Amino acid sequence: MENKDIQDLLDLASELRWEVGENFHDTLVEGIYADAAHIAQKTEIKIGEPNPYNFERKLDQVLTSKKYGFPIMILILSIILWLTIQGANYPSGLLASFFLEFLHPILKTGASQVGLPWWLDGFLIDGVYLALGWVISVMLPPMAIFFPMFTLLEDFGYLPRVAFNLDSLFKKSGAHGKQALTMSMGWGCNAAGVVATRIIDSPRERLIAIITNNFSLCNGRWPTQILIATIFIGALVPDSFSTILASIAVINIALLGIGFTFLSSWMLSKTLLKGEVSTFALELPPYRPPNLWTTLYTSLIDRTLIVLWRAMVFAAPAGAIIWLISNIYVDNLSLANITIDWMDGFGLFFGLNGVILLAYVVAIPANEIVIPTILMLTVAHLNLMGAGDGVMFELESTTETAALLHAGGWTLLTGINLMLFSLLHNPCSTTIYTIYQETKSWKWTAFASIMPVILGFLVTFLVTQIWQLFH
Amino acid sequence: MTLHLNLEKLFASLPTLFNKGYVFLFFTALLIVFFILKKYQYLLRSLLPFKYIEKSITEDLLKQLYHITSGQKITDFRMLSRALKIPERKILKVFESMTQNGLIYISDGHITLTKTGKNYALSIIRIHRLWEKYLSEKTGFDKSLWHDLAEAKEHQLSKEETEALYEELGRPRFDPHGDPIPTALGEMISEMGTSIVGIPKGTVAKIIHIEDEPKSIYRKIIKEKLHVGAHVKILTSDDHHIIFESEGHSIQLSTIVASNIQVVLLNSQEAYEEGKVRLSSLIEGEHATILGISSECRGANRRRLLDLGFIKGTLLTIEYMGPNQNPRAYRLRNTLIALRNDQADFILIEKTQYDRTRIL
Repeated sequence: MENKDIQDLLDLASELRWEVGENFHDTLVEGIYADAAHIAQKTEIKIGEPNPYNFERKLDQVLTSKKYGFPIMILILSIILWLTIQGANYPSGLLASFFLEFLHPILKTGASQVGLPWWLDGFLIDGVYLALGWVISVMLPPMAIFFPMFTLLEDFGYLPRVAFNLDSLFKKSGAHGKQALTMSMGWGCNAAGVVATRIIDSPRERLIAIITNNFSLCNGRWPTQILIATIFIGALVPDSFSTILASIAVINIALLGIGFTFLSSWMLSKTLLKGEVSTFALELPPYRPPNLWTTLYTSLIDRTLIVLWRAMVFAAPAGAIIWLISNIYVDNLSLANITIDWMDGFGLFFGLNGVILLAYVVAIPANEIVIPTILMLTVAHLNLMGAGDGVMFELESTTETAALLHAGGWTLLTGINLMLFSLLHNPCSTTIYTIYQETKSWKWTAFASIMPVILGFLVTFLVTQIWQLFH
Repeated sequence: MTLHLNLEKLFASLPTLFNKGYVFLFFTALLIVFFILKKYQYLLRSLLPFKYIEKSITEDLLKQLYHITSGQKITDFRMLSRALKIPERKILKVFESMTQNGLIYISDGHITLTKTGKNYALSIIRIHRLWEKYLSEKTGFDKSLWHDLAEAKEHQLSKEETEALYEELGRPRFDPHGDPIPTALGEMISEMGTSIVGIPKGTVAKIIHIEDEPKSIYRKIIKEKLHVGAHVKILTSDDHHIIFESEGHSIQLSTIVASNIQVVLLNSQEAYEEGKVRLSSLIEGEHATILGISSECRGANRRRLLDLGFIKGTLLTIEYMGPNQNPRAYRLRNTLIALRNDQADFILIEKTQYDRTRIL
């Protein structure tokens, strides 16, 4: 009997559900929201006149105006980038001379006194230690300068206004205005740029920002770009103009990166990501004086040190591998040389060579060690005297580096393609790991890692083909 | 003799192979093939072995038959063949096995659904409409894509998956176009609206259903930003055109397009809101009170707007505008929120005088 009553009730409810219509759930929720707002408004006690926001309004009107908005933004970003690149030189040099010139010989001497066998000494000190030292000295200073400045601007409330100004530009490529911020953060470090995409609350646009962050030329790639541009492009004109031409070339590569960011954002939002949820809304918080010490602390601990730690974790085994492939011999040829010879044909196809390809494979932990690895491999491949098999090094002057690379068979085409490939290749392992941490998806991690390499091969291939049509 | 693959030699010969511009010809050809395949991808289905496509053809036929018989029309092979883009001989083959399985019976040359067949058809319609609901609530796909995606998905979901989906979506009764979703037992209310065409001038009504087929007409309707739940007021109506007002915009549609919109006349409780316009029509210096969020704004998007405080009764104004007046920063509840104009289209407001006693 009771069961029958319950069944009747359920049937009635089921029937009535047709009548209440589609929106009753939403109406209910909105009713609760509205009631809550109403109660809050009644019980809230305000003292004095409401704040007229005069200062903030004026500031907003200047910072978001058509006339001044963009120039101010470009000025501030350029200052930050300039301070980072220039300001990092000195501490980087100090760290490098401490780790590589001061501590390295001491360790070597110590090892030989203890009586370590040559292979253990080489593996640990020339391989693992050198890679670690290199990564710390080139990564730490720029990050320690870039991130605090960036965080200060964020705290002040300026960055949301930048996103506001640039939103209409990013909207065209299906992205979020805040991607302007994660993109700029990527110029410091891609891994940090990927972490910074947390500020984008719309799932689709966040994935776009994560996947395309690699197209921001990161701090580890600027030196490569500058070096190669000086050697191969600067050399095309008389000495007095070479610096200018080289800088123009590097800036063009960075701009090309921005172009690829927009292009791939647009393609992703139209194809692979069109099913992801997209919600745009940008909160513009009030301006407030930044809290200097907290900012310094959080940006150093949360961003710089965590990124550096991840880089070190990956750099150590890479250093070991670099040393091993140079010191394990098969038929009187080192593994490195065998791989280089094997990859050479493939590399030339893309206007690169075996040394570059192998360097990009083994130097995956950090873009910073690509050039030292290339130099080391070139020396080993040419059977010249370097710093020793499997020991990465950098040359004092650009002229020496140029001479070595020319001896390795590099041409202007190799230089241009290396610059392009340095922009368009897989993210470093720290970034890849960070992408996984942020997306929790192997699918997107793999896609974000492989897509740029394919693009890089495509671009260098086309450049090489066009080049050969004219030569 | 053994085949010997010399990789080195292969790599060495590749550059000469691809030289002199052949490579560009190759890529162009590849692109052209890709676009042709994309355009005629429905033809690919008929290239598959028959046993793989029999299930989906059966289900498509059942659905067509259900719609046609509920419209009291008589069907023939040629019409079905044209509607489903499947050759007649294949349809015949499927019909034979459908008769054997007791889904249809043929008498006097008429094809009629059996009870089993009708229930099968309803279960397919249920999956289709549930999936459209899912796409509208949980994904970001554009609504012009919902139908085609659901059309493919309806053949793939099992009964258990369908019921899990139904629970996950909060047991919905209507799909985003306003169509009723059949229950698991095959119950469904009949459609109750009338076409917007032929309603006298001056009438106020609410859109309850927008037909998503054919696609060309549906695209025209959604381009006008019309949606289920929107109020309309008929301004003029003749044999060729109908002009009506909705959310502060005057819309003109040809009769053939408008006949795909179903409405119900408004009852006394839900009077037509005269001053109800979209937030995007607010200009700098004006103030407005929010009347609500359009039902077209769903899922995460809707919750986000509610979280930010876009709630009925909230007062707001434009603080400043970005380049091309998009996005715009609005001040409400003591905060600044920037919205893009296509989002502001979802928020319905009433322009009001500034009231000093209320917070902004």
